[in-house]
Amino acid sequence: MAQSCNRNTPVQMDVYDNNAFNGKDDFPRKILSQLLGSNGPVHAVTYSASPGTYILTGSADRSIRLYNPIPASPSSSTTTTTTSSTTFITKPSQAPSTTPPQGRLIQTYTSHGYEVLSLSVSSSNATFASSGGDRAVFLWDVSTATTIRRFSNQGHTTGRINSVIFAGVDDSLLISGGHDTTVRIWDVRSQSSSRPVQVLGEAKDGITSLAVSPGGAGAEVLAGSVDGRVRTYDVRMGRLVTDVFPGAVTSLCLARDGKTVLVGSLDSKIRLMDRSNGQCLRTYGGDGNANGDAAGGWTNKEIRVQSVLGGGERWVVAGDENGAENSNGEGRVWTWDLLTGKLVAKLGVPWGPGGGKVVVGRDGKEKERKNVVSCVAWKDGGFGNQFCVGGTSGVVTVYGEA
Amino acid sequence: MSYKRSRATFEADLTAQQSPYVFFGTPLPPRDPEVRDDGSYVPIWKQEVRDERGRKRLHGAFTGGFSAGYFNTVGSKEGWTPSTFVSSRTNRHKDTPKAVQQRPEDFMDEEDLADAEEAKKIQTNAAFAGLGSTANDATRASGLMGLFRPQGETMGVKLLKKMGWREGQGIGPKVRRKARLELQNDATAQGETFLFAPENVPMIAFVKKTDRKGLGYAGESGLTPIGRSGSKKGSHGDTDDEDEDDYGALGRPKLTMGGGRKKETSKVRGGIGIGILNDTGSDDEDPYEVGPKISYNRVIGGDKKKKKATIAANPTLQAKPKFITKKAASSILGKVGLGVRKCHDGRLPLDGFVFGKESDALTTEINSEGKYPPPQIPRGWVSSKTPKSESARGSPANYVSTADVAKASTLDPKARAALLGEKQLPGKSVFDFISPASRDRLAAVTGRSDLPQALGEVPAAYARSEAEKQQELLDRVPKLDKETAIAAISRGIGGGAPYAEDEEKRARYRGYLEVQAGFRPQLPPKPAKLTDEEWLREFHEFFNCARIFKPMTGFMASRFTTSSSTKPTAATTGDTKEVVSRPPPKPEDPAEEAARLGMFGTMTRSVTDFYPTRLLCKRFGVKPPAHVQPDNYDATSEKKKDDVWSQFQSYGYQGGGGPGTVERELLGLEFGSTGGGGGSTGGGGGSTAMADLERGGGTQKPAEVVLDTSRNEALEGKRPGDEVFKAIFGDSDDDE
Repeated sequence: MAQSCNRNTPVQMDVYDNNAFNGKDDFPRKILSQLLGSNGPVHAVTYSASPGTYILTGSADRSIRLYNPIPASPSSSTTTTTTSSTTFITKPSQAPSTTPPQGRLIQTYTSHGYEVLSLSVSSSNATFASSGGDRAVFLWDVSTATTIRRFSNQGHTTGRINSVIFAGVDDSLLISGGHDTTVRIWDVRSQSSSRPVQVLGEAKDGITSLAVSPGGAGAEVLAGSVDGRVRTYDVRMGRLVTDVFPGAVTSLCLARDGKTVLVGSLDSKIRLMDRSNGQCLRTYGGDGNANGDAAGGWTNKEIRVQSVLGGGERWVVAGDENGAENSNGEGRVWTWDLLTGKLVAKLGVPWGPGGGKVVVGRDGKEKERKNVVSCVAWKDGGFGNQFCVGGTSGVVTVYGEA
Repeated sequence: MSYKRSRATFEADLTAQQSPYVFFGTPLPPRDPEVRDDGSYVPIWKQEVRDERGRKRLHGAFTGGFSAGYFNTVGSKEGWTPSTFVSSRTNRHKDTPKAVQQRPEDFMDEEDLADAEEAKKIQTNAAFAGLGSTANDATRASGLMGLFRPQGETMGVKLLKKMGWREGQGIGPKVRRKARLELQNDATAQGETFLFAPENVPMIAFVKKTDRKGLGYAGESGLTPIGRSGSKKGSHGDTDDEDEDDYGALGRPKLTMGGGRKKETSKVRGGIGIGILNDTGSDDEDPYEVGPKISYNRVIGGDKKKKKATIAANPTLQAKPKFITKKAASSILGKVGLGVRKCHDGRLPLDGFVFGKESDALTTEINSEGKYPPPQIPRGWVSSKTPKSESARGSPANYVSTADVAKASTLDPKARAALLGEKQLPGKSVFDFISPASRDRLAAVTGRSDLPQALGEVPAAYARSEAEKQQELLDRVPKLDKETAIAAISRGIGGGAPYAEDEEKRARYRGYLEVQAGFRPQLPPKPAKLTDEEWLREFHEFFNCARIFKPMTGFMASRFTTSSSTKPTAATTGDTKEVVSRPPPKPEDPAEEAARLGMFGTMTRSVTDFYPTRLLCKRFGVKPPAHVQPDNYDATSEKKKDDVWSQFQSYGYQGGGGPGTVERELLGLEFGSTGGGGGSTGGGGGSTAMADLERGGGTQKPAEVVLDTSRNEALEGKRPGDEVFKAIFGDSDDDE
C-alpha cells in the first residue's frame, strides 16, 4: 500500500524505496530487547544523536538511564531479569514464556529531585538536557554523569517542565516549556548569565511539547500547548504563527524537511499538518480514520501520548493510553501509514519481566494496571528501522526488524 | 626667698589642717593617701575621673581607652576579654566547635542583675494594690475592696483623657461663655466670651441606704486611721480649743467635706443624744464614742476672740442666719477653698445640712448581702418600749396594702366601670380589625394564646369591592416600557428565555410581557396557589428580569450587536429538552470552531509579530528580522542603513566582486522580489534570489524563484568570506 502512494508524495522516501519495491513490510515488529531498571513509569525516551546507538530513558524514579539496546549475549539477560523484578510496579506473577533479552544499562544519571519528563540529546552526543518536576533544566555531561548547568534561576517558577529541546547553531540554545505556560530559551554557551535569552509567554495554558525546525533550514520553534494551539515562532522572520487545534496539543513531531508537522491532540486524533498553509494533510486515529478498524480505534483523551514520524516519514507511530484488554498488562503501539492513513500495525507492548498487571488500587481492590505507552522514539540514522517505547510499566521495549 | 616645702612638712601641715582637734596620738591619714584632700588646686592633667566606686573612669588610649570595657572590667577576672581577630576566610565560623554563646548576663553588673531579678517578680498591677499600696490613706479606706477593683483611673477616664477631657471638666462640646474669674470678676473682660469646657455635673448616685440614720445625715463612720486625724490636726493649726473639737487618735474625724471647719456640724451631730447605754445594736454606731460633747469654757475670758475667728472662717455656718450676697459668699468660699461641694444643681446645701458621704457602692452592696450581719440580740431581751395600744391605730396585722387589695380584686375594668356607673365607650378592640394572620403573628410573638379572635373587619369608610381590590393590585404591578417588553419577548423566542425550568412561571412571565407590550388587554388571572403578595412580588421579579433587555438607543445601539441573535442555528437545533436554563455560552473563537469542524487552514491560522531577542537570532544563526532592529544596534549597521542596498547586504550575501556585483544583485533583487516577497522582509527568499543571480552571472532575469527551504541553494553555493559574517554579526560567540 505504501508503494502505490510513494510516487506522488511530497515526502522524500528515496532511501527506503528499495525495501518498498521488494514488497516487504519492513516495519520493525520484533522486540529486540527490553530495558529494565526503572523503578517507576518511564516518561521520556530518546535515542542518542545519529547514529542512535544508545537510548536515554527518563523515569519517574528521578533518574535518567543510558542503555545500549543491543543485548550483550542471550545468557546474560536471564540473570538480570530476576534482579529487576523487585520494582514496586511489577508484581511477580507467572513469568512469561519467552523473555525478551535485555539491553545493557550503561549509566544512571541521578540529580533530579522529581520525575524526569523530557530529554534531549545534543547533536554532538557529548551533552544532553533533561527536565522534569523540579522546575529546572539540567544540562548533563554524558561521560562524567554530572550536570554542567542547571537552568533554574528565574526559570519556570511554577509547575513542571514538560519539554526540553536543543536548538540553535551547534545546539547553543536550550528551549524548555512547562506548566507555567511559558517557553523559555536558555543560552548554553553563556556561563555567567542565568537568565533566559527570551521568554515566550503567548500560551494561555501549559506547554506540553516543543519542536525545533531541523538543521539550518529554519530557525523556528514550535510549541504545543494545552490551550489547543501550536505556536510557531519564526525567529528569522519575527513571525508568530498560531494554529488552532480542537484539543489540547500533546505531541509535536517535525518532519525532517520541516515542511510538515505531526500534531497529536487530545481529541483522539493525530494530524499531519502542512506548515506552510496550516492545512491538515492527513488524520490518523480516532474514528475519522478510514482504516476499517472501527471497533478498537485509537483514542487519546486524557494522557499525554507521544506520536512520532518513523522510518523516514513512512509511518506514524503513536503510543496508547488505554492498553489492550485482557492482555496481561499489555500496552499497545499503533502505527499508521503516513500517506494513506491506514493502520499498519498494532503491536503489543508487554508489561515486562514479571508481567505484573495487578495492583491494589486505592479502594483496596485488585485491578488491572494499564500499561500506558506514553513515549515513543524512533531511531534516526544508523542501519535498520528501530524504535523504542516506554510507559507505565517502567520497561522500555525496543522494536527492530526481524 | 621662697623654697619648695618638703613633703614631710606638707603632710604635717596637712594633718594639722585636716584634724586640728587632735591633740593626742596620731591623726588618721586622709582616706586616700593618693588624693590630696585639702582642696588645693590640681592641674587638669592630673585630675582623674572616678566613678562612684572610686574606679578610674578614663584610661589612656593604650590601656583601654574610655572606661575600658564595662566599667573597667576589661581584663579583670570576671570581665570582658578582648578576643583576637580570627579571619573567617581560613577559619570558618561554622566550623568552630560550638562557639561560646554570650549571654546578656555576661555584660551585667550586680546592679543590672538585681534589676533583672526585680523585673521577674510577679505582683499585682498597681491599680489593684489593695494591700501594701503606697497610695494615700484616703483611698486605702476601702481596705480589702481594693483587691477586687482597680483604684485610680478607670478605663473610661483614661479614654476621656485621651480625647482631651480633663479632671473637673464636664463632658460635651465646649461652651462659649464669659470667663469666670472667680475672685475678681468685676472689671476685667466684661464683654469677652471664650470657649470653655462645659460645667461638670456630678453624677447623682443613689446610694443604697443601709443604716437607720435620718435622710441626708451621714453620721460618723467607724474608726478612723490615725494618719488622717493627724493630718487633720495639722490643718487645724494651733488654736486653743483644739481639745474641744479634736478627739485625738481614737476620736471621730471631721467630715471630709471641703476644707472648712464645720464645727457646728459636729455639734449638731452630737446633739442627737445617743448614749452608749441605749445602743441600737447597729455596728455603725461607735460604742466607744464619748457621748455628747459639752463645751466647757476652760479659759476665763478671752474666749470670744477665738470664737470670732472661727466664725469668720466660715460665715455660711454661722448659727444665726445672715444675708450674705452670693458674690461675697463665693469670694469668701473661694478664699477658704475651692473644694466646697455644691449640690448637683449648683447650690450650696441648705443651712444646717451636710452632704452625705457617698459610701462606696460596691462595698455597701457586699455588706448588705449579709456578710457582716448585725450582732444577735441577746436572748430574753425585751425592749423597754412598748408599742402603743392597737386602739390608737388600726391593727398592723389587718393592714393590707393597696397593691394587695388591687391584686385580690376580681373586677376587670368593665366591671369597675359598671360599679362606678360609667358608660361603655363605643370602641372596638384592635383585634376586631386585624387580619387573622396578623393575630397569629402577635400570638406567636407574645407567646400568648388567649388573644381574642381577629375579626378582620374593614371599616365602612375603607371597604372596597373585590374589583377595586383587584384594580388596586394591578395598579401596583410595575410598568415596563413597551420597547423593552417587546425586546424581552423577542429574546424569549430565541430560546434564552428565563424560567425555562418552570413552564407556568414562564407563561406568566410571557403574559406579563405581552400586557406591558400592549399585545394583550389584561393580565392573566392570578393563579390560585399564589397569594396577592406573592403574585405582586413575582411581577416585580419579572420586571427586573425584563428590564435587562431594554434596547439600546442611538449611538450605543449602532455599536453593538446582540450575540445570541447571530447564532439562530444553535437555538433551533439546541436541546429543547434541556431542563436547566444556562447562561448563553461565550462566543466561540471562530478558529476553534473551525478546528473542531476540521477546516484547518486560514481559518485556524493567525499570524502576529514576534520579537526575538538579538541573542536568540544570533544563536539561531539568523539575522534579526527587520522589525526587531534595535536602536542600540552597533554603529556599522547604522551606517549601512544609509546605503540604498545596505539592507540587502546585511543578509550576508554581499558578493566579493566589487560594486558592479552589488549593482547586479540589486537589479536582480528587484526582479526577484516576486518570488522572495520583498527584499526587506523576506530574508530567505531574498537570499535565494541573490544566490540564483550569482549563479546565473547576473545578466539573466530569474523567471520564478521557487522557495525551497529544505534545499537552500544559497548555502550550498558560494559562501562569502568569513569576514563578511564577522562584520555583520559582530563579535564571535566565544567571548560570551
